[in-house]
Amino acid sequence: MIKKQLLTLPSIFFLLILLIFFYLLIIDRNPSEIPSALLNKNVPKFETTSLLTEKKFISSDIFRGEIKLVNFFATWCKPCRDEHNYIKLFDNQEALEVIGVNYKDNPQKAIKWLRELGNPYSNIAVDKKGRIAIDWGVYGIPETFIVNSKGIIKYRHAGPITKKIYKKIIFIINEIE
Amino acid sequence: MIIKKFFLNKVFILIIAACLIQFFSKNSYAVDPEEILQNQEQELRARSISKNIRCMICQNQSIDDSSAPLAKDLRILIRKKIKEGNNNKEVYKFLTDRYGDFILLKPPIKLNTLALWILPFFFFAVGVFIIFWNNKKSKKN
Amino acid sequence: MVPILGNITLWLSLFFAIFQFFISKKNKKIKSIKIGIFGLLACSIISFFLLMFLHVVSDFSVLNVFQNSHTTKPLLYKISGVWGNHEGSMLLWILVLTIFNYFIYKLYNNNNSILILKTLEIQAFITIGFILFTILTSNPFETMSPIQNEGLGFNPILQDPALAIHPPLLYIGYVGFSAAFSIGVATLNLENNNNIPWHRYMKPFVIAAWTFLTIGIAFGSIWAYYELGWGGWWFWDPVENASFMPWLLGTALLHSLLVVEKKKSLQSWVILLSILAFLLSVLGTFLVRSGILTSVHTFALDPSRGIYILIFTAILGSYSLILFGLKSKKYFNTNYFSFFSKEGSILINNILMVIVCSTVFLGTIYPLLIEAFTNNKISVGTPYYNSTIVPIMIPAILIMGIGPILSWGKVDIFRTLKKIFPNILLTGVITLLVFLYYQSYSFIGIVGIILAFWIIFNNMTLLFRKKENLSSGMLIAHLGIGLLILGITGSSVWQIEKIIRMKVNNEIKIEKYNIAFKEINQIKGPNYIALQGSFFVYDEKKKIIAKLKPENRYYPVTNNFTTETSIHTNLLGDLYIVLGEGNIDEGWVVRIYYNPLVAWIWIGALTIFLGGIVSMNYNLKQIRRLS
Repeated sequence: MIKKQLLTLPSIFFLLILLIFFYLLIIDRNPSEIPSALLNKNVPKFETTSLLTEKKFISSDIFRGEIKLVNFFATWCKPCRDEHNYIKLFDNQEALEVIGVNYKDNPQKAIKWLRELGNPYSNIAVDKKGRIAIDWGVYGIPETFIVNSKGIIKYRHAGPITKKIYKKIIFIINEIE
Repeated sequence: MIIKKFFLNKVFILIIAACLIQFFSKNSYAVDPEEILQNQEQELRARSISKNIRCMICQNQSIDDSSAPLAKDLRILIRKKIKEGNNNKEVYKFLTDRYGDFILLKPPIKLNTLALWILPFFFFAVGVFIIFWNNKKSKKN
Repeated sequence: MVPILGNITLWLSLFFAIFQFFISKKNKKIKSIKIGIFGLLACSIISFFLLMFLHVVSDFSVLNVFQNSHTTKPLLYKISGVWGNHEGSMLLWILVLTIFNYFIYKLYNNNNSILILKTLEIQAFITIGFILFTILTSNPFETMSPIQNEGLGFNPILQDPALAIHPPLLYIGYVGFSAAFSIGVATLNLENNNNIPWHRYMKPFVIAAWTFLTIGIAFGSIWAYYELGWGGWWFWDPVENASFMPWLLGTALLHSLLVVEKKKSLQSWVILLSILAFLLSVLGTFLVRSGILTSVHTFALDPSRGIYILIFTAILGSYSLILFGLKSKKYFNTNYFSFFSKEGSILINNILMVIVCSTVFLGTIYPLLIEAFTNNKISVGTPYYNSTIVPIMIPAILIMGIGPILSWGKVDIFRTLKKIFPNILLTGVITLLVFLYYQSYSFIGIVGIILAFWIIFNNMTLLFRKKENLSSGMLIAHLGIGLLILGITGSSVWQIEKIIRMKVNNEIKIEKYNIAFKEINQIKGPNYIALQGSFFVYDEKKKIIAKLKPENRYYPVTNNFTTETSIHTNLLGDLYIVLGEGNIDEGWVVRIYYNPLVAWIWIGALTIFLGGIVSMNYNLKQIRRLS
């Protein structure tokens, strides 16, 4: 009663699955990276103090106009230190403003850290309790976002910036207006 | 040259490990007594929601079990949301709006997970059919 | 010198495997093939022990030793560290493959020569695949320079006896299924016109594989339970699922072999299952080592390894499954089974095992499928498996209770009911008692207890009656499952958890125990310093039952923190204490669990293992009679 065609089903099914695995292996992907839920959505609204000035940090004022690179960092995070040179390179880019968010940190330590390593940020939001990070869907620092001129999040990279990611971000920045 | 290859392979792991070590240096433990809500019903809701939220760092645990600081922050945030009067659905939406569906340990029932949820029951139906068909045919002999 | 020797023996073993492949293809006399078999065995043993030697003497010129070992590691863990990493574990795979290769050879006699030769050919192919993979992508004897003084290796969590023995046991399982695979494929290939009883030769490998896979999985779980600090022992992690799926198919395979023997039926099932069980084992290897997903279990992130394994799996899988598609037709027959017969209950069990396996497979690869087709990532965790698998397991276990009692062919329902009625009564009584004792009414708990005692009583009475001609190995193994279910139900449903902050001299009551936090000390271990809490446990009569000392350890060499739980075990439940953070003024966070009946999980697993060993023993005697 079993048709011969039915018997070939297991092999077809098996090969299909392997094909999918093959595809996943050869594309450029990071298996533990999670896509941001905020892509193509508006920047979360928040208000906090600014690290280096007396002024308040109000998101609706900051996130308009130029393209922004938002970098979540802390002094106690070693990879943040490792990637800092790349953040400084971003600062040199034209038509790109680099914003920092100081995550769960001691403000005095942060100021000292920036003095020692160089400050690429035009403005730094203080996220003492980590609530702002949660609103951005941050799950481990450092994390870097690109926000376009309309305040829409276009890209997120979780983990420190590497040469490869740096190039990718530069490419993306040139693509969006 | 071999060391370079070794390091390139391990850089990713080292980065995660470095972050983890920074996180664990405080050695806090899952569901601290101070987090526990007074209202027992609310606390139970918080626990059951937490058990369904994946810890984004140690990805195989729920935030209820995890000692990572982000897990603790989310546990406290969930309790805050519950106290503010949000129902479970709203609390879940708050989390998935920020972290995506990945944060749920129980995959949501959406269009893209339809196959995931329906197939097991389909398999079961096919299996039951085969068993009954077998039984019926055996009676004929 | 030694690494070069190791390399040589690896290449030599490849040579012997290729030799065995071609000679058995040509159907030459077994005497010539003997060279291949013994050569393979010798080379793999030598290369394995050479690597072990390098680890034991901490020869850091070898990359594998540098990456995974450390001079301060205790000897036991230097040894187990050999297979605790990717490259070394491949050497263990190869060793077990060559040992089973030898066992297949031992089955050879004049009657089955064609079958065994074909089997050896296929097994040789598999072995070539693994050795080639090791040499090309994962050579443990690779050297490095400059030579460092100290190694990188150690993760203190991995230095544990249960974890040390876990991989070898699992590999015996996977390799056992490879032998069953080879026999199944050989049978299809040869079209078995000589009517060689291939299934009789498959059986010992299936029993051995299944038995060791069971205990291998159990050791992994018991390690997770006492090491990871939150009392869990199964997480539906993709790599755990990768070991569970072959186990499920192995269970179906084991039972179907019985039906093949008695009724000449289900032969096509058996062949398909033997192919799938091994394919799933290899797929499991792929998931762990290719970097396609991350999990706490994954070895290394290396897509190039993944592509090799994928191609190897594709070759094995397409060949065997296409062969199945073309040649299995003659093994289908039109025997139909009624529910109320032994073969019927085995068929039902088979189908349920395949359904559970398919569901686990679906849950495991679904996130990968979603990722491939959309840009989303979802996660499939414990709640999914609980909702889908538990309801299916319940009828499977119910049937397991009466299956052994049913006779082959049609069964008199009333007579059977009469036989099992006392057990139904007994189960009901015990269930009632349990609920009076625990005083907690949970539906799934009731179901779990009924199922557990249903199995336990059915099998115990059969075991002691000895009237029926039933295999005692089978009864012991089934009894083990009943105990396992008892443990799983108790510890999942009635776990009590207390999380409080305690200062020294505080007390807390949990279940019937009083726990007093006596003192907190800083202690020094061989390679760590730790904060140790001392807790005295008193029973209701104020007598001291135990002194529990959970620790928070710091290992300066790797800058690691771990927590060591402290557990007091008895048959009724475990008292499990974890020390959290804190200080002398505010006190410490203390997490206390009472896990009822959890010891029965391990006892159950051990019982299943013993049942398997008894069966193996009996089966081997049967095999000897065959030759």
